[in-house]
Amino acid sequence: MSTMRLRIAYTKIEDARYIAHLDLTRVFERAIRRAGIHMSYSEGFNPRPKISFGFALAVGTEGEREYVDVELREDVDLGEVLARIQEQLPPGIRLLQGRALDQGAKSLMAVLNAASYRIRVPMALPIHAERLQEAINGWLGREHVTYSRYSKKGPTDKDIRPWIKQLEAKIQGDEVIFDLEVEMGNSGSVRPEEVLASLRELENLPIELDELQVIRTGVHVSYEGGKKSPLDEREA
Amino acid sequence: MSNNTAAELRRQVERFLPKVLKPSRYIGSEWNVIKKDWDKTDVQMAFAFPDVYEVGMSHLGTRILYHLVNSYPEFLCERVFAPWIDMEKEMREKEIPLYALESFQPLKKFDVVGFTLQYEMSFTNILNMLDLAGIPMRANERGLDDPWIIAGGPCAYNPEPLVGFIDFFLIGESEEQLPEVLRLMAEQKKNPVSRPEFLRKVAQVQGVYVPEFYHVTYKADGRIEKIEAEEGVPALVEKAIVSDLDQAFFPTNPVVPYLEIVHDRMMLEVMRGCSRGCRFCQAGMIYRPVRERSPETLLRQTEELVRATGYDQIALTSLSSGDYTCIQPVIHNILEKHGAEGVGVSLPSLRVDSFDVDLAETVQKARKSGLTFAPEAGSQRLRDVINKGVEEKNLLEAAEAAFKKGWSTIKLYFMVGLPTETQEDIDGIVDLAKKVANLGTKLGRRNITVTISTSVFVPKSHTPFQWEPQEAGSSVELKQRYLREKLRDRRLKYNYHDVTTSYLEAVFAKGDRKLAPLLEWAVKHGCRFDGWSEQFRYEVWMEGFKELGIDPRFYANRAIDYDDILPWEHIGSGVTKQFLIEEHHRALQEAKTIDCRYEDCTGCGVCPSRGVQIELKG
Repeated sequence: MSTMRLRIAYTKIEDARYIAHLDLTRVFERAIRRAGIHMSYSEGFNPRPKISFGFALAVGTEGEREYVDVELREDVDLGEVLARIQEQLPPGIRLLQGRALDQGAKSLMAVLNAASYRIRVPMALPIHAERLQEAINGWLGREHVTYSRYSKKGPTDKDIRPWIKQLEAKIQGDEVIFDLEVEMGNSGSVRPEEVLASLRELENLPIELDELQVIRTGVHVSYEGGKKSPLDEREA
Repeated sequence: MSNNTAAELRRQVERFLPKVLKPSRYIGSEWNVIKKDWDKTDVQMAFAFPDVYEVGMSHLGTRILYHLVNSYPEFLCERVFAPWIDMEKEMREKEIPLYALESFQPLKKFDVVGFTLQYEMSFTNILNMLDLAGIPMRANERGLDDPWIIAGGPCAYNPEPLVGFIDFFLIGESEEQLPEVLRLMAEQKKNPVSRPEFLRKVAQVQGVYVPEFYHVTYKADGRIEKIEAEEGVPALVEKAIVSDLDQAFFPTNPVVPYLEIVHDRMMLEVMRGCSRGCRFCQAGMIYRPVRERSPETLLRQTEELVRATGYDQIALTSLSSGDYTCIQPVIHNILEKHGAEGVGVSLPSLRVDSFDVDLAETVQKARKSGLTFAPEAGSQRLRDVINKGVEEKNLLEAAEAAFKKGWSTIKLYFMVGLPTETQEDIDGIVDLAKKVANLGTKLGRRNITVTISTSVFVPKSHTPFQWEPQEAGSSVELKQRYLREKLRDRRLKYNYHDVTTSYLEAVFAKGDRKLAPLLEWAVKHGCRFDGWSEQFRYEVWMEGFKELGIDPRFYANRAIDYDDILPWEHIGSGVTKQFLIEEHHRALQEAKTIDCRYEDCTGCGVCPSRGVQIELKG
């Protein structure tokens, strides 16, 4: 039987942002089954459908362009498949684009290595544009930025600076909008909340961290001086 | 209708939602959710499950009634569950009232809030949920703007500890009864009459129990003197029974949650009722008679369920699905039709006397998950006492077949503290567990695990053991300690229930109206989620008993006389008191009573009195 590997870009917004990453496989699995499309399954006692994702999106964070790989047990028209699955997905998950992959194509986890975020955060005190830029420059100018993460085992210090590829900010009304790009890898990454907390602490930037809104605008395949989508023909 | 409130509430909740555990519990936009326009419906009902989302959403009755009410264009039904501790804390701090998942409307806005009573240990959650909703707990403190607070489910067969909080109870099967009640509510909204007048009308519906029309007086020693019904309401409230189960409403487009729930699969109700007649089992008494659904109906429902849910597993549920006459053809037809889509079948429980290893193999894709059997008692004598018609031979044969087919994990369920239990019966548990493990070793299975779980016997209302006391906790603990010692073997694993929880369960299972103030006291002192061992606060409860001058032993550990008036005397399950007494006698004589499914009528009384009969499809 012929199989078909699909890579699909989708949104995870509105109420769908509360779906935990671990639950997302089931959401797609059930949608595809409802659509009457046959999936490929893993071997073994407890066969699981072949559905895989990139790096987890934190619960409550919207994703404007996320990716999933699905292997189907039939060869069907791409447009039709996407339309049929879309009908069965919850409202906040919208399929944006899809492509059939070559059999040997690397998995999402193997190719993705960067993510970009947009963060909106209210000011605690008025901030001028120059002051904001100064803080950003000052922070980016540091070679090492130590951040303490608290877990059940107690605090662990780590240097978050190496993960930062880009950080920009602008003022909109009484909010600051940050555009952040970070590296991601199997050895971890940095969370946008951590970057902002560090900015507030080290550069005395008065921002209201309790009310920040984070959107992941995209995940990317980053290479020397550029980035592309995992849907890009050559990279995948 | 005040969408501003709902939208505002939603905004406030979303501000902290990512911080609480499992936010999808509180957002309600699952697949197949029903969101109706409030203004286009006559009656708005909130269906309340007094436990967390994952437990409530796993309950078939909740699914049935949610979709049933919504199947009427004039009625609206939304869901609400008990928020977990972390969510409750946030809500109380930010003064956010308990809201229904579909619309985010506060519970207070609904015409009726219906609680399902599945477990005595969830009673405090009911009161806590009312409090979180800003609805007075006490019926006599509620005003015209407050919703009617109603309740149904198995624990409604002894609703007395909740009298004073609940306006009225729905006894029995609600498929026909609940819509009738809602019709009366619609009428009441159009042409309101006084509270007592409305309650009198609703008391005419089959199975509706309005406690304020029943007056209980007590003897000096605390026992009940008499229960008197006012004129115009039935002296005995008899349960509602669905007239034709095969044709009864069953939802084939159930809500599919995003987070993993306890029973995360399709559920097909193959039959209702069980006539095995285990004497400790309340469900076996109150859901009589046995009525099966036809294979045609079940296969049609399966087809619709698969299309509408996308689940990969379907559970054939009932009190004893192995007894369903068409179990084999139904399973094979389902697998033939949907197996290619990755759909498997599961059976929630297997009886050793009807155990069929090929069937078990068909229904269990993952063999490592193990097989569960429930002999319930360790000796043949005691199994005869409780009328669990299982013999050791059956169990060993079933275990042997399972080991031969490659299973290495077997779970055995027992009860400790059963009536007439002696040391020999406890030794019988050890004996049986070792025999099963030895069998596995002899058959050359490596890595054998035999898990032995003992629960504590809780005498329940409407059963032949309702007159029996619960064994004292200290004595049960000795037995548990003994078993822990004796079951030390690397192949054996022993789990046991906490005696304090079971003690409180026994108090409420056989409690009367005098316990209501205690419930209120406990909630005010922080008790909730009492069924969750890490939340259960036994000392607080004991302090409450002392403070209010209530002796828990009076309810849990007292042998009741046949002549005593039972707190649930005025609630009828259809099974006669005479039959329960005879069954109690037969238990003490170690005499078995055969299943009326296969043999003659046992005379329990439900069929002749209610004009129903057992219905088998095989």
